[in-house]
Amino acid sequence: MSFILLKGFFKKELTQALRDKRMRLLIFALPAIQLTIFGFALKTEVRNVRLAVQGRADDALLQRVARRAYASGYFVPAETGADWLAALRSGKAEAVLAGPVNGTLAERMDRDAAPLQLLLDASNMQRAQQLETYMAQIAAQELAEYSGHGRAPPAPSKISVRVLYNPALDSAIFMVPAVMCLVLCVITIILTAMALAREKEIGTFETIISAPLSNTEILSGKTLPYVLIGLADVPIILGVAELLFRVPIRGPLWELGAASAVFVFTTVAIGTVISTFAKNQQQAMMASFLFMFPAILLSGVMFPVENIPDAFKILAHINPLKYFVTLLRGIMLKDMALQSFVFNLSCMAALSAAAVAMAVLRFRQKLN
Amino acid sequence: MSPKLRVAASIALKEARHILRDPLTLAMALGMPVILVTLFGFIIDFHYKNISVSLFDHDKTPASRSFARSLGAANYFRVLPSEDARNPEHTLADNASFAALIINPGFGRDLDNPEDKPAIQLLLDGSDNAKTGIAMGYFQKAAALGLSAARGQRPPPESTPLSTRFLFNHELNSRWFIIPGLTVVICGLIGILLTALTVAREWENGSMEMLLSTPARPGAIIAGKLAPYLLLGFCGVAFVYAAARLVFGVPFCGSHALYALSCVLFLLAATAQGLFISIVTRQQQLAMQFAIVSGLLPSLLLSGFVFPVASMPEFFRYFTFILPPRWFMEISRGIFLKGSGLADLWPQLLMQALLCAVLIKLALKKFKTDLEP
Repeated sequence: MSFILLKGFFKKELTQALRDKRMRLLIFALPAIQLTIFGFALKTEVRNVRLAVQGRADDALLQRVARRAYASGYFVPAETGADWLAALRSGKAEAVLAGPVNGTLAERMDRDAAPLQLLLDASNMQRAQQLETYMAQIAAQELAEYSGHGRAPPAPSKISVRVLYNPALDSAIFMVPAVMCLVLCVITIILTAMALAREKEIGTFETIISAPLSNTEILSGKTLPYVLIGLADVPIILGVAELLFRVPIRGPLWELGAASAVFVFTTVAIGTVISTFAKNQQQAMMASFLFMFPAILLSGVMFPVENIPDAFKILAHINPLKYFVTLLRGIMLKDMALQSFVFNLSCMAALSAAAVAMAVLRFRQKLN
Repeated sequence: MSPKLRVAASIALKEARHILRDPLTLAMALGMPVILVTLFGFIIDFHYKNISVSLFDHDKTPASRSFARSLGAANYFRVLPSEDARNPEHTLADNASFAALIINPGFGRDLDNPEDKPAIQLLLDGSDNAKTGIAMGYFQKAAALGLSAARGQRPPPESTPLSTRFLFNHELNSRWFIIPGLTVVICGLIGILLTALTVAREWENGSMEMLLSTPARPGAIIAGKLAPYLLLGFCGVAFVYAAARLVFGVPFCGSHALYALSCVLFLLAATAQGLFISIVTRQQQLAMQFAIVSGLLPSLLLSGFVFPVASMPEFFRYFTFILPPRWFMEISRGIFLKGSGLADLWPQLLMQALLCAVLIKLALKKFKTDLEP
């Protein structure tokens, strides 16, 4: 394979991909913008829960519990009017704290098993679960303070809990590596698959084939520029992660570079394989989604995959995204041991090799 | 039938034939909802169970063993034995487990000595903060039980002054939460992405110009082009609805007519957005990327599908107001699970109609200005 030839290819591909101003914007600015938006907007913490209080107007203790809840930062006041169910249904309130009806909370608290009731809109069951825990703690603390004796659960002082890597439980630290994975995936796979499908569609591919070039030369000349484009995004994304979100990079940078390079190689190879199956860009796009949705969902990059059925477990092991996100979180947050870095990287490299082999094979089949 | 309508109908027919002639595209457009429902329905689960905990028992007394056993009893934690010599932090760094439980020597002996410093330490992996928060909640409850088990006592009675009723999803079923939201994602996918791509293709290969040079009015052309995609989107919704009711047992408490109205509004807005993207870009690759960024990702991430809008910082909460999927998400969950009616949902519907009108207006305007030389 001649170097000059490859250089020519590179120049042509890069010029073509980057000629359009909107395309440059898309490749270089949009990843940074996306990371900024999603990093700031996506929070898994519970906040701003619209909490309404129902009870007798003279119930001072109930009001104290409510005030404590509002002061905790999780809850904001909401009005229900007379019909609390309607308020929950219309979304005016998400939770209603109801005091006892046959007396004040102070009167009933030692007589009833559970004098307070929390009515929750559980249509978002994840949020509802977290809410219940918070409200139970708040109520128990306030009532314990009021009565001055132990209705509160005995605080297990024997036990200390320490959170490593993200002690403030900041969502951004979780989100940023996830968004990085997503953005790289969307850019490289779809761009590669569609670019190659486009050449087929408009017929320029035939021209290249008829030129005196070997298959390897065509393949590498066509795809390596996209590896380059993908890799150029990595420092941009990392820069935003560092400057705006203060996501730490605890491990060595070369590990991060190596992991990104292998990942981008894999995704470009996958994009190439997809393009060999597609007749036109529309099909290439659809097929890219058919790959990306399962890959993203099964990797646990962003959505929890706690109880994957066994049938899907095998898919999780052949998913390059899973290894990449493990490596990203491992290197950035945990400074993972070299041994487990090497293990995850080699798994990804093996998948990469398989994808490249398949791309070459399919490509050759198509040409002959 | 007025001539305008007839033109639109014949263009729609032609477009439909076009889609039908390309069975792969059709299969993918209809296969996508199937795949999404399968994946989201069966895989994503917000019930964190069997959280792995590496156990470092340096005490090795009956008390420490019953504590560890009690922790693993409730299925929330899966306790894994590990070598004493290993550094507990490494089990987290290498993803061998999500948490490490260290029981220090003297735990059993000093169990009832209140002066003693903590004899049990739990290390948690904070890189997935949502899971960490929930694991902490589980551990607080489990540790209280574990301590009484270690003392050989019966567990203390539940002593919370609060009773909770979970309305609208009383079993806290993950599927009930996910599947109604999926209609939004699928409508967005078909409406925005597919439309943007196919119309951009016509611009790219020049067949749009050809169509425009015919006596057909631009309005009729657009209506004819978009109708089949509306239909395709509606098929997607129908499929999710059937899967929700028949496979996942999700209730449908509200009015079907209201839901259909909301679907139509959303699909109209989505196809208008797709059309707008295709006119601006006129190139499939660009159209695709813009459609993903402005259509798919917001439907998936900013609509409240998984990440609640209320938890977002203030600026982004107002920003979501201009996203049709955010309103359709509230309507979909409201009608499916809560049985909300027009009286509850009119603000959301109004916003949907408003955004829909704006998007159609924008697309038409762009279309018309682009026609002039």
